[in-house]
Amino acid sequence: MDENLVPVHFRLNGQQHAMQVPSHELLIDLIRDRIGLTGTKRSCDMEICGSCTVLLDGKAVSSCSLFAFDVDGKEVLTIEGLASEGVLHPLQEAFIQYGGFQCGFCTPGMILLAKSLLDEKPVPTEEEVREYMDANLCRCTGYQMIIESVAAAAEKMRRKT
Amino acid sequence: MSTVIGKNVYRVDGQEKVKGKALYTGDLKLPGMVHGKVLRCPYTHARIRRIDGGKAETIPGVLGVLTRDNLKLATPYLGGIIKDQPVLALEKARYAGDVVAVVAAVDERVAEEALKAIEVDYEELPTAMSVEEALSPNAPLVHEKIERSRPPSYGRGASYIVHEHSNICHHFHYERGDINEGFHRSDFVFEDEFIYPTAQHYPMESTISIASFEGDSVTVWSPSQTPFSVRQEISRVFGMPLSRIRVIVPHVGGGYGGAKGGLPSILAVALSRHVRRPVRVAFSAEENFKTICQPLIKIVLKTGIKKDGTFLARRSEVYLNAGAYVYSTPSVAEKAGYRAHGPYHIPHVQTDSYAVYTNTVPAGAFRGFGGHQAAFAYESQADIIAHRLGMDPIELRRRNLLGRGEEYAPGDTPIDCDLKGMLDELAEAIEWDKKEESPKGSRFKRAKGIACAVKDGGGSGKSASASVRIMSDGSAVLATGSVEIGQGVRTTMMQIAAEELTLPVDKVEVAELDTHTTPFDHSTNASSATIVMGQAVLRAARDARAQLLSTAASSLGVPVEQVQLREGRIIVKEKSWSFPEIMRLCFANVGGEVVGRGSFNQTRDENVPLGQRSPFWEVGFGGAEVEVDEWTGTVRILKYVSVTDAGKMIHPLHCRGQDEGAVLFGIGLSLYEELLYEDGRLANPNLIDYRLPRFRDLPHSFASRIREDGGGPGPYGAKGIGEGGILGVAPAICNAVFNATGVRIRQVPLKGERVWRALGKPAAKTTVQNS
Repeated sequence: MDENLVPVHFRLNGQQHAMQVPSHELLIDLIRDRIGLTGTKRSCDMEICGSCTVLLDGKAVSSCSLFAFDVDGKEVLTIEGLASEGVLHPLQEAFIQYGGFQCGFCTPGMILLAKSLLDEKPVPTEEEVREYMDANLCRCTGYQMIIESVAAAAEKMRRKT
Repeated sequence: MSTVIGKNVYRVDGQEKVKGKALYTGDLKLPGMVHGKVLRCPYTHARIRRIDGGKAETIPGVLGVLTRDNLKLATPYLGGIIKDQPVLALEKARYAGDVVAVVAAVDERVAEEALKAIEVDYEELPTAMSVEEALSPNAPLVHEKIERSRPPSYGRGASYIVHEHSNICHHFHYERGDINEGFHRSDFVFEDEFIYPTAQHYPMESTISIASFEGDSVTVWSPSQTPFSVRQEISRVFGMPLSRIRVIVPHVGGGYGGAKGGLPSILAVALSRHVRRPVRVAFSAEENFKTICQPLIKIVLKTGIKKDGTFLARRSEVYLNAGAYVYSTPSVAEKAGYRAHGPYHIPHVQTDSYAVYTNTVPAGAFRGFGGHQAAFAYESQADIIAHRLGMDPIELRRRNLLGRGEEYAPGDTPIDCDLKGMLDELAEAIEWDKKEESPKGSRFKRAKGIACAVKDGGGSGKSASASVRIMSDGSAVLATGSVEIGQGVRTTMMQIAAEELTLPVDKVEVAELDTHTTPFDHSTNASSATIVMGQAVLRAARDARAQLLSTAASSLGVPVEQVQLREGRIIVKEKSWSFPEIMRLCFANVGGEVVGRGSFNQTRDENVPLGQRSPFWEVGFGGAEVEVDEWTGTVRILKYVSVTDAGKMIHPLHCRGQDEGAVLFGIGLSLYEELLYEDGRLANPNLIDYRLPRFRDLPHSFASRIREDGGGPGPYGAKGIGEGGILGVAPAICNAVFNATGVRIRQVPLKGERVWRALGKPAAKTTVQNS
């Protein structure tokens, strides 16, 4: 098959990458298949569920609906890059402690979406958490315990700073 | 003294899941792995005159094409209760989406190109989409012949009726008392019809499997809730001994009854055998929608009562749209019929429940399993009755609810919880006595509604076994066939084993589920694991403990009665040894282990209507406060209270997660979720057109009250709670909508348009006879 290759330079989880990607390649496939980080999950494949959420320059995006070349010159964070030196991010810790997941399939996307929220608004109200997190779907938890997890993480991060 | 039971210990899969390190089937890459794709029939019902994969096979990158003409099997049909689904369509395809051919290629794009090159000549056939169409006199038969593999062995009062040359594939009949006498003695008889929609499970992880042949053996990776059944099906269809089939269950991205490991496993095995490479078959979200669904259920409920509100008689007619292949729908039909009496004392009961083939997506098990549909009918009707009598709905229910120890049906397990106590708690939690006033003249109308439901929990035909191995260093490995679908079962089982061995939780590992090494388990469904597998694990741990104590006794040369296990130490009088010390002593430094085994088996009982006693009663009481916008028909849930009984919570946080998750499932089904057909094809097989519940659908006031009233058959008095929460949602909401607007809606989901249209109509459809 004829492949139009596009050069891309980007940082992924703090590491610089330079590669040639086919022009039709999606960001999710770049991350999962080319780089081999499978924490980013594919589900609805149409930008509704948010399982494939990654942070692009700090903002939550659906990697199923972006081209790989869209990351050129940008900084990408996937779930694998969130814990630093083996220490869980407060969100990761809180999701375990407060029951913020069950099957875990939506969890990487959910945690990254929450990170994007807390980066924007370190002390969100419950209403703001609901509104912001409404971008992603979870079929297991019923959402209440995700909201509690995000609130607990925000509180812990606030106390630290 | 319990150290870990009832404690929110960290879940065993927690770290992996929050770090993105948990590997699901779709994350696995095997050397040389290729990709399978499915050709699906675009027609609703069509004879296949000719199929030719020749051209597709010549496309570079295509490794093989399988059609009915070159797929060689020991038997071509899949299925449990009824073997009706050909692995690949044979003489005809039975719904738009039916599997006609599969290809294996180097990647999914090439595989999809190959699908387009497969030539198929179809001849369209007449169709039957609904139960009504399928039961009409000249309906086309979806299946000309129905091969029933194991006729159900019902007990007292229940029977199974065969219909020849009909689309009825299962007919469950049950009766007790004298239904005619019951109606005759009634002061009022109410008759209503209710419809609960067909819906998609939508686990976030789609249907997927990988199969890899090596020599005469095959290994399958599958996110199945029933890996041992998958192994059995592979054995039967491919004519292979069970010992050569190994099914491994990686992390699973949700289940809810969606049977997502079955069909793709079979297709992956067929392709891998054909092309001699590991093959991955992953369905897209749209294909998932076209693979299995919740059956649409119509329930006609006729209830006779005395003037004072006492229930006397109930006749239930239940119709399930089984789709083109039945999966578990016959069992859903039986359970929906059996559950249609509700948690009430009703002396005269008669039920007929039918599963009916149509040319729609196959239906099967779905969280709630006929229980929530039945509850929607009987709890809506309970309020219709209360309203007609001018009685408080709480009072009507209190008058009729079964007490602890009373029989739901003669022969079956007596009610094992305090239903009246739960009703009181529900009334208090939803503040039933505080009537919500809608502001005068406002288009927004507010009110509350309640519902009380039970289902026989724990499933049928259950058989589970577990092993606990104590290693030479005193750590232990637990092997259980319960599938971790998110409910936290691995953690729960670990807690039980740790408790019995008095070990700290980090000393007990839960092994990956692998049918080669994991002891047999029937299935992970029906809210059963804590009860069914829990007992097997408890016994296995106690067996291991007993062996450890007796080995220690003989090594120490003391009578076994003198050896005790306390807080992780073996104690003889004033001396004590740690696990590693005693293991060293017993096995003299060469290493060794103690292997404990335990099992649980349901046994047949002729005296029970369904042929087996229900392991326990699962409860779901719900209270909703809603706001209805009369201009748009939009229903908003302001408050929801769920009351259930876990008997004893082994992991309270996970129990809450189960109950809250089940309620949100119910809210989705009650307000939005519904599969729609247009011109014989599924019209909304994607998440843009099919609306799942979101954060914004979570009521602002939301409480799950989980009682621990004891009395469950599981370890430490536990009962299952995976589905209770879903049972009361639809009727509680519809009852609240009635109380807010005076309009009774007998069909969910309560989409704005449906409510708006109903608000415009004065018609009340209940037939009330004074007899």
